[in-house]
Amino acid sequence: MSSSTAVKEIAPKRKRMMDMILILGGLKEEAAIPLSRVNEEIANLKKEIEPLVSEILAFPSAYYQRFYEVSTKTNLPSQITDKGILTEAILNIEKALEFGESAGLSALKDALKEVLESMSAKPEENEKVSVDLNHVLKGLPKTTSQILDAVSVLEETSMKEQEQAKEELDSLMDGFTEIISDVDLDADTLLGKLQKIGTKTRYGPFLRVAAQLKRGKREERIDDERFKTLVTKNLVTEMRRGIIMFILNKMGSKTTPQIAGLSGLSPQDIQSAIVSMISRGEVEMVGIDGNAPVFAKVIGKAPDSTLVLKRALQQLRSVLKTMDDKTRHLVENPLNDLETAYSRLQMLGEYDEPLIAEPMKTLQDIGTKVAEAAIKSHAGDDSDELRLLVSAGLEAFARFRLKIALEKGPHLVSGVNVYGEKLDESTYQQIMDSYLNNELERGTILILIRELGAMTTKDLAERTDIPPDRILQHLLRMKRDELLTIAGESHGYILYDVPRTLTEAEVAIQTISSLALQTAEATKDLADTVSDLQPSSIGKLTSALDTLSKARDKMGKIEIGGTVIAKDLIANVEDKIKSAVAMGYRTRARIPSTRPKVTIEDLMDVDVPSVIDEYKGMMGYAPLLGFGTIEWVQSKCLGCKSCEIACPENAIELKPSIDVPQFFEFSDETLDSLPVNKSIFYRTVRNLATVKPSTKIALDEDKPGFGSVEVDLWLCVGCRTCVRRCPGTDDGALELILKWNLPEVIRQITAQN
Amino acid sequence: MTDSKKSAVILCTCGKQLGLDYGHLSSHLEKHELVSSVIVHDTCCQPDGLDSIVELVDSNDGRLVIAACTNQKIQPRIDMYLRTKNVDPSKIRYVNIREQSAWVHGDKSEATLKSLDMIKGAVAASSISQPLHVQKKTVPPHVTVVGGGIAGLETALSLSNLGYEVVLVEITDTLGGHVLNLPVVAPTGKSGAEVMKSRLDAIGKDNRIQVMTNTYVRFFEGEMGNFTVHYTSDGKDGTLHTSAVVMATGFKEFKPVQMDEYRYGKNPDVLTQYELSQMITAGDIKKPSSAQDVKEVVMVQCVGSRSEDYKRDCSKLCCTFAIDNAIELKERLPDVNVRVVYMDIRVPFENEMIYKKSRELGVDFIRGRVSMVWENDGQTRVKIYDSLMNQYFEVPADLLVLSSAVLPSDGLAELGETLGYMIEDDGHIKELYGKLRRNETRRRGVVAVGAATRPQFVFEAVTDAQAASLVLHNELQGGAIETLARGAVLEVDDCVGCSLCAQQCPRGVPLMIEQTESEEINPEQKLIFKASIDTLNCHACGVCQSLCPSGATQLNFISNEQLWAEITATLENAGPDRPITLCFYCEECAVSTIDIAGIRKMEYPATTRLVPVPCAGRVSIIDILKAFENGAGAVMIAACETDRCHVGGTGNEIAQVQVDVARDILNAIGWKGARVDMFRMFSAEPQRFIDAISEMTRRASEFGPTPVHNGEAGKWMEVVE
Repeated sequence: MSSSTAVKEIAPKRKRMMDMILILGGLKEEAAIPLSRVNEEIANLKKEIEPLVSEILAFPSAYYQRFYEVSTKTNLPSQITDKGILTEAILNIEKALEFGESAGLSALKDALKEVLESMSAKPEENEKVSVDLNHVLKGLPKTTSQILDAVSVLEETSMKEQEQAKEELDSLMDGFTEIISDVDLDADTLLGKLQKIGTKTRYGPFLRVAAQLKRGKREERIDDERFKTLVTKNLVTEMRRGIIMFILNKMGSKTTPQIAGLSGLSPQDIQSAIVSMISRGEVEMVGIDGNAPVFAKVIGKAPDSTLVLKRALQQLRSVLKTMDDKTRHLVENPLNDLETAYSRLQMLGEYDEPLIAEPMKTLQDIGTKVAEAAIKSHAGDDSDELRLLVSAGLEAFARFRLKIALEKGPHLVSGVNVYGEKLDESTYQQIMDSYLNNELERGTILILIRELGAMTTKDLAERTDIPPDRILQHLLRMKRDELLTIAGESHGYILYDVPRTLTEAEVAIQTISSLALQTAEATKDLADTVSDLQPSSIGKLTSALDTLSKARDKMGKIEIGGTVIAKDLIANVEDKIKSAVAMGYRTRARIPSTRPKVTIEDLMDVDVPSVIDEYKGMMGYAPLLGFGTIEWVQSKCLGCKSCEIACPENAIELKPSIDVPQFFEFSDETLDSLPVNKSIFYRTVRNLATVKPSTKIALDEDKPGFGSVEVDLWLCVGCRTCVRRCPGTDDGALELILKWNLPEVIRQITAQN
Repeated sequence: MTDSKKSAVILCTCGKQLGLDYGHLSSHLEKHELVSSVIVHDTCCQPDGLDSIVELVDSNDGRLVIAACTNQKIQPRIDMYLRTKNVDPSKIRYVNIREQSAWVHGDKSEATLKSLDMIKGAVAASSISQPLHVQKKTVPPHVTVVGGGIAGLETALSLSNLGYEVVLVEITDTLGGHVLNLPVVAPTGKSGAEVMKSRLDAIGKDNRIQVMTNTYVRFFEGEMGNFTVHYTSDGKDGTLHTSAVVMATGFKEFKPVQMDEYRYGKNPDVLTQYELSQMITAGDIKKPSSAQDVKEVVMVQCVGSRSEDYKRDCSKLCCTFAIDNAIELKERLPDVNVRVVYMDIRVPFENEMIYKKSRELGVDFIRGRVSMVWENDGQTRVKIYDSLMNQYFEVPADLLVLSSAVLPSDGLAELGETLGYMIEDDGHIKELYGKLRRNETRRRGVVAVGAATRPQFVFEAVTDAQAASLVLHNELQGGAIETLARGAVLEVDDCVGCSLCAQQCPRGVPLMIEQTESEEINPEQKLIFKASIDTLNCHACGVCQSLCPSGATQLNFISNEQLWAEITATLENAGPDRPITLCFYCEECAVSTIDIAGIRKMEYPATTRLVPVPCAGRVSIIDILKAFENGAGAVMIAACETDRCHVGGTGNEIAQVQVDVARDILNAIGWKGARVDMFRMFSAEPQRFIDAISEMTRRASEFGPTPVHNGEAGKWMEVVE
């Protein structure tokens, strides 16, 4: 009893359990200030933030006014040819206006509406233009060379960016090599230094690992030795990945030797680092350069222009066969050029799309017209229905699948396949019917979307006779094949669109309209909360400020004719808005959560089990059943292992060790109360002893009937099962000491922090 | 001290040829306070000796100490004689003054001294002996046989012949098992169907045997004399009551689907040896893939057997079966080419003859392994590595026959959980003792026959079945079962519920029962358990007694008090001048070895005192320490070899624990730990025993007087740190 194991340090698992109590009581918040000071803090914030607010509130509206002015001057709305974009922009602006008036926005809306109406008013004109294939194709070589030029420009830009990036990289690498080569650095300093330069890479996993390590160290979850290995091995590897990502991000696709050349890292390090990046889905292989694979950063979705080029290529290739030799010659060379342009664009990955938008648009036109021309030459009747159907067929034919099916199908019926199977003619007919039907339906959908702008399933179902569920199936399939993209939503339906090349004007309008909606909402929230600032509205305040700050950043990137609109306005507000955001966040971090909660005083009378029940009710489970330590009294222990067998958490164990010195400390009363054979055993040992042993006996393995009980506080959930099962004398050799009531638990933790 | 505590002593001279001083013995014993009378007899084992024993037992309330030759020889004779006279022999104690004293010590006075000490020990134990009563119980003469293959059928028939009602449970819809499909059963030359026919007929006619096909056992309850079998028959659950269970679940042929190299399961022309047997029995030997004639057959031995991944040992049957089938093929299709690819051909007994015959018939035996199997144009092709010629060659195969491993059938382990038998590492049922007690399992009233315990040939399964029937008959006695008179008795009130007995009993006899009635709805209430010991299954090893902290469970013929009294009395004269070695020996291997040493008159020091225990597991650390407390210079335990404990496997290991801990504690409290040790031996290794006991006497004299002799023991309190 004299040497109960004193638990000075709290085992990590138990600490987590205590966190549970704190969370429940709402007491677990970093750097929280006492409740009494909350109002004071809020008042301070209000005082600080109020002078800034009026300007912040005013800037979006002012910006939109300036935007409108510039846009009318440059005739921006009329440059928009995409109905879908127009409709969506108008919709967004209308919604934004519901939050509050803005002269600039409503003027912009009217202008856009005008354009939209004029577009709908003159539908017929283009229809009648007769299409001459050769005429159309005449433009192809020129467009192709324009595209090639544009691609070259893009590549040059990317090269320039790469050069700039190279400087950045060099300084990054200098820092890195310096840190790595300094062998005397202790792990803590190393971590700090790595973190400092590592942030430049903006590589998520690195930042996360570094933060986790730091926290783990602070909370003493990681011992020093492990910490050191983690920093010198794992973190350094993550840093290498960050550097690789930096290169791929800023300098385009690269092979391993190229990365090695740029960074000075060893190719082996790069190779081993890159493998994980591939499996993490951060990097992919996009081609082969000589013998080395070319790696690129994985981008979520190929840029629309790349997709447009891919489609135009498909269209042109599909009609190639139907052309006469001369025309074919005309097309073949540009076609090859376009192929290279396509692969070069793929290598570039992301690029500045508007730069290439013009020639792409022409190419898209050519593609469409070629398809149309092909239709015209094949179909005499020009009734709308039939025209749609035929062009849908051609559309479908442009894709590889149908061509193969049509070519191979008849052979399957007449001959046998490689497995010696023969296709039944009626089955073939059935397959082909449904297959052709599918492909035709898909073709129809594609053509409708291309001509009329982004559409939803509902729109398409109305325009065709195809049932909506089938349409949805087709849409999903075509999206997977990268023939369609998702363009937003309308009335709860998803809008599908073909990949389009957006002009600068279109991009600008799209961005502006979505920003308009966001800022309008945020402005209103900001105005509302600041006028009567309450602790409970701190969250709303900070998120409104955050939205406005991000909107401001985006506005700084919108260009018309190469210049940023209202540059001065945006620059002026920058400091104010950024500091307002910072102040908001700081105060939010210091205010304890404002939901109803118990105070430490309230917890005085709360007992542990009821809190645990409450937690269970909230979370569905509780990680423990009580707090306490298990005290083991050797004199009463029978060494029977019943506790070990009964413990549901494997927390208690009979260790092969006998505390013989203890045998000599038992009182006669204790010995008298023991089961008879145990008592005889201890007495006999004492009778025989010539010296009193001073050390425990370490047994080489488990010996039934002998041992010392140890409880692993990591695992004990205080369920009391061992205590109840223990057959030792009186109440058993084990005792669960529930000595912590809640306030004590909390004080224990707060004292440690 | 009432007279009833006193014992008579009879000293046998074994025809006046033992070199002991009988006058000295008698005169000392006559003065002993616990001795009522002393008789010296020349031939205790002869009728007049037996008559004197009857008389002494009668006149001393059963307390008699017989100092004669080994009780292994004399006791059965005396017991039998006394029973015929209706006298209870259960309180008699034996001291072996012949093999353990007179025959092994040249010095007459030393031998006499040793004999006297040991007799005094027995007298002390005898003074508190309790009579043992054999309890009888009438149970229905009814046995359930699980499995309707050759072993199950034979057991059912044998038991029926012995007068038992038998229920034969078979999982499939027909009786006969694997044997029914064997084209020929070596070495009879008869087909499996012929071998089975007479038995199936007999079963059909036997109205004491009830056959339940399409039935499988779900679990068992109860003990010998009162088992409940829970079964499912034709999809319906049911129960039946029975007195004993025969496990005859046979084997399962390994299906080598996971061994990709043989393409089994993918290529229809690849089959197992048993599948070929079925094909031959059906009489239609064709290529399964094309129904064409079979010209080329390749057989592969040891598929899954002798492999670390599947079955580690040899399956024993496959070589013979493969050769049987090869001959059968050769005889039915004279043009067929049979190649057997083998690692070692293992055909035991007269099966060697069929191996010879097959070679004469032109079966090609290739020592090596198959390296690859593939199909080419509908033809299976096999690449074989010939390890004798060290070359590869490629042959076509119309049939590729895999002699796959013989595995225990499914569900054995699950049934074992409720029926209480143990499972070997390889999944077969573990027999009680591999050498002497086959067929028996750890549980009384449960026997295992046939391939359930290991792969067996047909004739082996038959003898196994017959043997097991007699083993069961011996237990059931036609329905009048007896508890073993010797066994552990539990004083429930003393039980503290620690479960050490239940954890360590080699037979798994004690069960821990939770005392739910005494429990209230209070989360802090103790969970109280009490042991429950079914003496019917107890084999009286004393492991529970050795471990019990409260003395609640004790053997009824050697209680703690008895053993401690015996130790004290035996060591009465153990002083510092003549260091005595006390030897506990088990009445299994050790007693047999010690007797052989005696018969061969192999000398060892006479400063030894021997104390019998039923099993080494009976000796607890207290017994060892008590011996030292009473003046022993060294203590040893003589026990069975590792893994060869006769009472169920672990008694000697429990003894080892006591010895190890005692040694550690002695070292810790200022003693020489080497004063205690444990020695293991087989039943006929006298030299090993002589070496062991000589070593211990050497240690005893080398270490000299113990702290007890020197008066240092217990003086730790005075030691200043």
